[in-house]
Amino acid sequence: MNRGEWILISRRAQVSKSTRPRLCPIERVNQICRCSFFLFDSFSFAEAAAMFHNSSQRKYWIFKSEDEVAHMRRKANQKFRNKIQESGKSAVSDSMFLERHEEDVLFRHYERRLLDFCNAFKPAMPKSVVGTALMYFRRFYLNNSVMEHHPRTIMLTCAYLSCKVDEFNVSSTQFGGNLLHETPAGQERVLEQILEYELLLIQQLNFHLVVHNPYRPMEGLLIDLKTRYPTLENPESLRKSADDFLTQAAMTDAGLLFPPSQIALAAILNSALRASLSMESYLTECLGLKEDKDSISKMYDSMRRMKTLLKKYELPKADEVNIYKPRLERIHAQFASSSNKRKRGYEDDSHVAKEPRLVEEEWTDEDLM
Amino acid sequence: MEQYSILGRIGEGAHGIVFKAKHIETGETVALKKVALRRLEDGIPNQALREIKALQEIEDNQHVVKLKDVFPHGTGFVLVFDFMLSDLSEVIRNSQRPLSPAQVKGYMMMLLKGVAFLHHNNIMHRDLKPANLLISSSGHLKIADFGLARLFSEQGERLYSHQVATRWYRAPELLYGARKYDEGVDLWAVGCIFGELLNSSPLFPGENDIEQLCCVLRVLGTPTQDSWPEIVELPDYNKITFKENPAIPLEEIVPDTSPQAVDLLYKFLVYPSKQRCSARQALLHPYFFSSPLPAHHSELPIPQRGGRPPRQRLQAPPTDFSVDLPLQNSVVDPELLQGYASCL
Repeated sequence: MNRGEWILISRRAQVSKSTRPRLCPIERVNQICRCSFFLFDSFSFAEAAAMFHNSSQRKYWIFKSEDEVAHMRRKANQKFRNKIQESGKSAVSDSMFLERHEEDVLFRHYERRLLDFCNAFKPAMPKSVVGTALMYFRRFYLNNSVMEHHPRTIMLTCAYLSCKVDEFNVSSTQFGGNLLHETPAGQERVLEQILEYELLLIQQLNFHLVVHNPYRPMEGLLIDLKTRYPTLENPESLRKSADDFLTQAAMTDAGLLFPPSQIALAAILNSALRASLSMESYLTECLGLKEDKDSISKMYDSMRRMKTLLKKYELPKADEVNIYKPRLERIHAQFASSSNKRKRGYEDDSHVAKEPRLVEEEWTDEDLM
Repeated sequence: MEQYSILGRIGEGAHGIVFKAKHIETGETVALKKVALRRLEDGIPNQALREIKALQEIEDNQHVVKLKDVFPHGTGFVLVFDFMLSDLSEVIRNSQRPLSPAQVKGYMMMLLKGVAFLHHNNIMHRDLKPANLLISSSGHLKIADFGLARLFSEQGERLYSHQVATRWYRAPELLYGARKYDEGVDLWAVGCIFGELLNSSPLFPGENDIEQLCCVLRVLGTPTQDSWPEIVELPDYNKITFKENPAIPLEEIVPDTSPQAVDLLYKFLVYPSKQRCSARQALLHPYFFSSPLPAHHSELPIPQRGGRPPRQRLQAPPTDFSVDLPLQNSVVDPELLQGYASCL
């Protein structure tokens, strides 16, 4: 997305890539303002009231610190434990529940599966759709435990909703057809589940559906480099590694902590760093941060934090997943009835009158791919 | 849902019923739009998602309805809006005489402000029509029904559906099956609404899609490659040909209208979408700055829902002094006072 940000840049960048436009001073000032605006949203620039600035993402889904995010997840874990304990159905031992780090492993496992599913999707899914699906998944499990709602279903629901919201129009049959190892009957069953969870998902997303991904800002920055930063000979050469950075960043909390344009800038700067190219003067001259030591240091600080996030990321280990998964299944089998009620976000289920089926046991995740 | 008590039914949309309700805590009257999800094959309908999407991401604007809340309910969810008394189609239908030029101007100004705001936020509404322009109890016009609204990008890569917009207000490129279009479709609709306000009847009331095109062509003249270069690229361009006819001057279509109004109308009703006047520019048109000036929202009629005759505003009786009369007329004759006045 980030259409607003992108447009700000692209309007003036439509000039061909080789001819660098000569700019009158006023236009330059404007550009600088615009650029600083999209980097630091504390900078208020009236005309650029476009997209990200007003977005629900900026208002509700960018958090102060890594700690705050971790705290929310701990709370979600605790909330589920309390709920089960309070229901007092049977004496439940604490050891039965998943610990936070165990939840994390499973989360990352299913997040990978979601990514694989999206990447293998036919017709090819645009990046922004994938990014949005991953972000939905992340936002959902910020306030919910994997023990409460099975990530296997939620991840597909995220992908399904993201297709619709991002106007990547595939019919539900087409979507089902991408569940490769399912029989037609199995596909139908999974689809039914997806539709059943769709409402719960958008409710948990607080009906905030638009996600701003860093892909457009990155395109914008590349065009900006081409048009205004002759020092850099071949900005396109930065793309590959910057792309990788964004792909990795999508699997971290970066999107919950930083605006998309900053993630994109970090991707570009990091890519330049790896190629031993200095882009210092781009920040100071082109983005007009020379006098603004505060913003520069903030920018570098954000970049460091993002890099730490990326470094900290590790692929879920198969042996760990294999231990935790059966436990997750057991929890879901045991408490299925209690979580069933909350499904679909319905206030009362009476008129839905669906027989409680043990559908979740009928298909395993291996069937999905 | 327990927070609201339902007061009645307002109407039925494509994806649900709209109720009038009272927020129990604040006593505020609201409109609840229920989106039911039962037996929908593809789950939550795109239209509902678009509406939420568009309305969640924009700031408040005086001329766009405000989405106050969304919450799940039963098998679906409920969108909460400010309650609005009426809509522009009822205003047009129920006004006993044609709207005055100042009133038309007032509505147009509010409409254009709303449209300018949406376009500035990269939202095209795609279904502007009088029935979607709600009128509040204070006479304000607010754009509603974002079921077809889309965020647009300036890259113009994606294909859109051409089956949008209610037929009478559908832009000619859509009638020719265009899949790539822009916010110009809204500006065409603005032109149609403008004409309808001036005439108190729809400008292009086509009975079906073909006839719709006929209506437009009859007035604007058969398009040529000169007047509309892009026409050759439109999907249905070769599928249908019309007998050639010249354009009819808009003065004849909207008789008894000021030249400035006609001039502005000309700026919206042009074939190439890019040439249509943007909402922002239109607001600077001399039409809005010449006499009679746009009516204040308190001077606009507010018909009741359900088509009862419009409530006449209680107007203060005209006062009997005028700035044009000689001052002496209002002053007491000094001679009458003389006998009683004594100077110290």
